[in-house]
Amino acid sequence: MAGHAVKHDYHLVDPSPWPFVGSVGAFLLAVGAVGNMKGLVGADHPLAWAYGDGSWGGLLIGFAVILYTMFGWWGDVIKESRRGDHTPVVDLHLRYGMIMFIASEVMFFVAWFWVFFEYALFPEVRLDPALATFPPAGVETFDPWHIPLMNTLILLLSGTTVTWAHHALQHGDRRGATLGLIFTVVLGVCFTALQVYEYSEAHFAFSMADGGNLYGSAFFMATGFHGAHVVIGTIFLAVCLLRLLAGQFTPEKHFGLEAAAWYWHFVDVVWLFLFAFVYVTFG
Amino acid sequence: MSADAATHDDHTPSMWDWRRWVLSTNHKDIGTMYLVFAIFAGIIGGALSGMMRLELMEPGLQFFTGDETFWGSVFGNEHNYNVATTMHGLIMIFFMVMPAMIGGFGNWFVPLMIGAPDMAFPRMNNISFWLLPASFVLALMSMFVPGAGGDMGFGGGWVLYPPLATSGHNGPAMDLLILSLHIAGISSILGAINFITTIFNMRAPGMTLHKMPLFVWSVLVTVFLLLLSMPVLAGALTMLLTDRNFGTAFFDPAGGGDPVMYQHLFWFFGHPEVYILILPGFGIISHIVSTFSKKPVFGYLGMAYAMVAIGFIGFIVWAHHMYTVGMPVDLKAYFIAATMVIAVPTGIKIFSWIATMWGGSIEFRTPMMWAIGFIFLFTVGGVTGVVLANAGVDQSLHDTYYVVAHFHYVLSLGAVFAIFAGWYYWFEKIFGVKYNSILARLQFLFFFVGANVIFFPQHFLGLQGMPRRYVDYPDGFAFWNEISTYGYFIMLVGMVLFFLVLIDAMIRRRKADANPWGEGATTLEWTLSSPPPFHQFNELPKIK
Amino acid sequence: MPDLYGEAMRFLTALALIWTTAAAGALAATGQPIDGALGFQPAVTPIMERVNDFHNILLWIIIPITLFVMGLLLWVMIRYNRKANPNPSKNSHNTLLEVVWTAVPVLILVVISVFSFPLLYFQDEIPEADFTIKATGYQWYWGYEYPDHEVDEYVSNMIADEDLEEGQLRNLSVDLPVVVPVGATVRLQVTAADVIHNWAMPAFGTKMDAIPGRINEAWFRVDEAGTYYGQCSELCGIRHAFMPIEVHAVPRDVFDAWIAAKAEDPYSDAANAIIAEYSAARDTRLAQLD
Ligand code: HEA
Ligand code: HEA
Ligand code: CUA
Ligand SMILES: [Cu+2]
Repeated sequence: MAGHAVKHDYHLVDPSPWPFVGSVGAFLLAVGAVGNMKGLVGADHPLAWAYGDGSWGGLLIGFAVILYTMFGWWGDVIKESRRGDHTPVVDLHLRYGMIMFIASEVMFFVAWFWVFFEYALFPEVRLDPALATFPPAGVETFDPWHIPLMNTLILLLSGTTVTWAHHALQHGDRRGATLGLIFTVVLGVCFTALQVYEYSEAHFAFSMADGGNLYGSAFFMATGFHGAHVVIGTIFLAVCLLRLLAGQFTPEKHFGLEAAAWYWHFVDVVWLFLFAFVYVTFG
Repeated sequence: MSADAATHDDHTPSMWDWRRWVLSTNHKDIGTMYLVFAIFAGIIGGALSGMMRLELMEPGLQFFTGDETFWGSVFGNEHNYNVATTMHGLIMIFFMVMPAMIGGFGNWFVPLMIGAPDMAFPRMNNISFWLLPASFVLALMSMFVPGAGGDMGFGGGWVLYPPLATSGHNGPAMDLLILSLHIAGISSILGAINFITTIFNMRAPGMTLHKMPLFVWSVLVTVFLLLLSMPVLAGALTMLLTDRNFGTAFFDPAGGGDPVMYQHLFWFFGHPEVYILILPGFGIISHIVSTFSKKPVFGYLGMAYAMVAIGFIGFIVWAHHMYTVGMPVDLKAYFIAATMVIAVPTGIKIFSWIATMWGGSIEFRTPMMWAIGFIFLFTVGGVTGVVLANAGVDQSLHDTYYVVAHFHYVLSLGAVFAIFAGWYYWFEKIFGVKYNSILARLQFLFFFVGANVIFFPQHFLGLQGMPRRYVDYPDGFAFWNEISTYGYFIMLVGMVLFFLVLIDAMIRRRKADANPWGEGATTLEWTLSSPPPFHQFNELPKIK
Repeated sequence: MPDLYGEAMRFLTALALIWTTAAAGALAATGQPIDGALGFQPAVTPIMERVNDFHNILLWIIIPITLFVMGLLLWVMIRYNRKANPNPSKNSHNTLLEVVWTAVPVLILVVISVFSFPLLYFQDEIPEADFTIKATGYQWYWGYEYPDHEVDEYVSNMIADEDLEEGQLRNLSVDLPVVVPVGATVRLQVTAADVIHNWAMPAFGTKMDAIPGRINEAWFRVDEAGTYYGQCSELCGIRHAFMPIEVHAVPRDVFDAWIAAKAEDPYSDAANAIIAEYSAARDTRLAQLD
């Protein structure tokens, strides 16, 4: 820790094990994933439970290490915040960091939308006549005005409830904040549940092994990655709810909640694009 | 500006304490780890290029024979040549140039130059670094597990085009490589977030954006390119992964997918990536040229905004790598025009460097020699880029050694020269010891001659039609290939000299000055001791 | 230890060869790489002629630019080194200069574009074609069809080193070449069956990706009889370097005889004999000319 002569408000962080442990976790997760998908060792290898074809052991170990890192790392961040290390300028850092992170996430979705638009707008380049329309012949798409519309309303509503929670907190209304967050988390869970239900009703396959084609690929991967982001956002909000209940947020300082709210709005906007284009325009 | 504000209560931990490195939250230590990592990767990438050059020295198969001979068992077969090419490209780009420039010099000098005590997120900085060894090990592992058929490793080129990267390589090698690049990408994105936040928020009082040193500008533009292009690559890689393992049809025509779609996604990342590789070099060169001409940089604002322009235009030219995929002709016309436009801001940089030297009092210290070499060789590589930009001739030159020559002039003679320039410019600052400048200049000489001998003849090979990624070629390409390999041997002497300089400096330990370059060196890092205190700027410097 | 003297002699011989072939336009030298050559292979199609011309224009632009930069660098190194100029000036602005070095490159690029776009459109817009050839890339050989002549696909493989005969070129010669009549405008369709390949023929200025699921089109018209070699130009796996392309441009009547035999049987020995006979006759004629 920097000494008493420090005359600035930056936060010089103590040495930390988490980056290294997290990297080991990422490595293990990757090796485990390849083991699961392709098998890195034979079926009678002593490590077959972890890295054999179809095994889950290695993957789970990697995942556990990463989860452990997340708990440890973000736990430290919370401790530092409560210790007062997050001066106004450090708080600003965190805001910049979160915005930049969301910007990179936006670009990640650009890839999925790009593929979708390319295949939706230029079907005629495909040689196979059955695939030369969009959606391809035989693909029965979802009616946007049923579950997707409901999901849209759910997400829009959740966007208002999270804002409600934020404003309530700013005005010192803890009960309102708690309620707002609870609503948001519940709405997030509802969205995910409906999405899972919708997937189970799909009349087109994801994998080519099940007769799927590019429509299923583009649809499930785009909406699936969105769904994954909803789950992450819901967890993020749930953690904020717990922290709120634990009294860690004050009307002045509650960046964790704001970051979760920003993230949630981002997820919300991605959905609006999915709804407008994947479901309505090209549905 | 007081350098001695560094207090004595935070002792620099011992070099030999593993916790100092593994648990580090210190930008200078992390920068050093990046540099060491880059050198290590450079050796491996350079060795792979040596394997290729040996094979190409003569027509026929001599090394990658795949038979029971010594070489055949060490090098493998023709597939392993493709693996060597692929891994050479990936390693040099992702594990050598990027870690050296952004991770190494960026980490060291962005905070120092803007008068900040550290990076904005010191702990995240460390995971940006440590993810790289994880990623690198995955990439290296991929060379030793089944790739295509019974052969080991992925041999589909650094661009990983499907279907060769999907159905063409059924083994786990490619999956390891995909995840390796995912992790390298995460590392870069986290690093980018860190640099952007640092540069926007931690400039010393009085340092407006328009007073910021050009190296910091160059890193700022670079990391924006990273932040916005890497995620698109991540998407493309994910599609490769699901096409390979979960039956999606993104790039598989049997399900309506299109291999060309991948190329668009890849190059939307790939073209900004080549500027990611060179922009920090531009920044380094600006400082060196100004320091040793003892003049301020000519046209500072033009220099800064030229980089912004290059970064911006870099996002809208990607399909010049795809002129032969069968794009509509009007689209090609657009990409020709957009691509050539980049020559304008780049020209501004070249001419401003020369104008900086004009009227100066130039000292030919080691870094300056590399810098001047850079300016010239980058120009050579740049003008051949303009040739390639014209789809009409690119029709003849695409996927030939002309392209290989072009990009080695901008990379191996551009980016690498900039790295060595930076290395010798900041060596004393980083390590606190002096180096033997005679040996270092000799290294420059061998590199300059060697690299030109390697790569200049490749233009001729390309014009005659020699395709890239060929383990063996018709006899009509023998002559220039042999010359090119001789060049490699010359360069190898340069590499030996590089290590001699390093060893010599570490043994002799001559204490470095705070500012070895005198009045020309005006940026903040020279106001600190060499090496700087473990935590600098406990009291922020004030910029007039 | 490399034999330096021998090396130098070979270098000079190679250079001499380049100049003489360029001057004499010797037929035997077209259509294949020449050791030690510096430029393009001689052009035998209108496209490649234009590529060549345009590239020469580009050389007249990029070499002077490079020399100019080099000259400036040398000048400042001589004139403004520490000894020659002990007191540096402090100037760091000159608006006129900055405008000039922005505007002049723009103008240069405009000039380049003026030549570049016509070439692009000339290449890309396929004229009325006499007939079509369809090339399909496989790992690792080419398949050819002549749909207009009802020639079904035949497969064209590289001649292995140990089977090479007199006059065949290592890594370039194939067993069953493509044959086209001199002066005919050919529409080339390329596709692939497995991974991406690329049908490239340097002397024609043709290079087209063969992509599974797509059909790409290009065109060429060979104006000189001869044998031309090209190579797969997109990495396609372990034998990427060993799936060359060989095209024979022959007089109309030879082509007609050949194609008739091919239409009967795409692997017709008679068709091969026609080409072999024609080539042998041509080679003797050339030998007599010498
Ligand atoms: C550091 C990396 C780097 C840099 C800086 C560049 C810079 C440029 N590159 Fe290059 N390029 C690569 C790395 C790089 N490239 C790589 C790795 C590949 C191959 C990828 C693969 O396939 O594996 C490639 C391939 C590549 C292609 C595709 C070729 C093909 O596959 O067929 C093209 C085509 O347009 C191209 C163009 C350009 C242009 C126009 C520039 C311009 O930015 C250059 C601008 C600079 C100058 C022009 C010189 C200085 C200017 C002046 C002195 C002013 C006056 C000049 C004029 C008016 C002309 N590059
Ligand atoms: C930065 C990128 C980079 C660098 C430096 C190099 C360096 C070299 N490259 Fe290559 N190369 C590529 C990027 C690079 N290359 C790419 C992208 C491809 C295409 C791959 C593909 O087709 O998929 C390629 C392909 C390629 C080919 C074509 C193969 C083929 O198509 O079949 C050849 C053939 O000669 C070649 C040779 C060489 C040689 C002899 C060097 C020599 O210059 C090597 C000598 C070694 C060095 C110059 C490294 C020294 C640096 C350090 C040791 C680190 C120092 C660090 C600090 C000081 C911090 N490279
Ligand atoms: Cu077929 Cu390369
Ligand atoms: Cu590019």
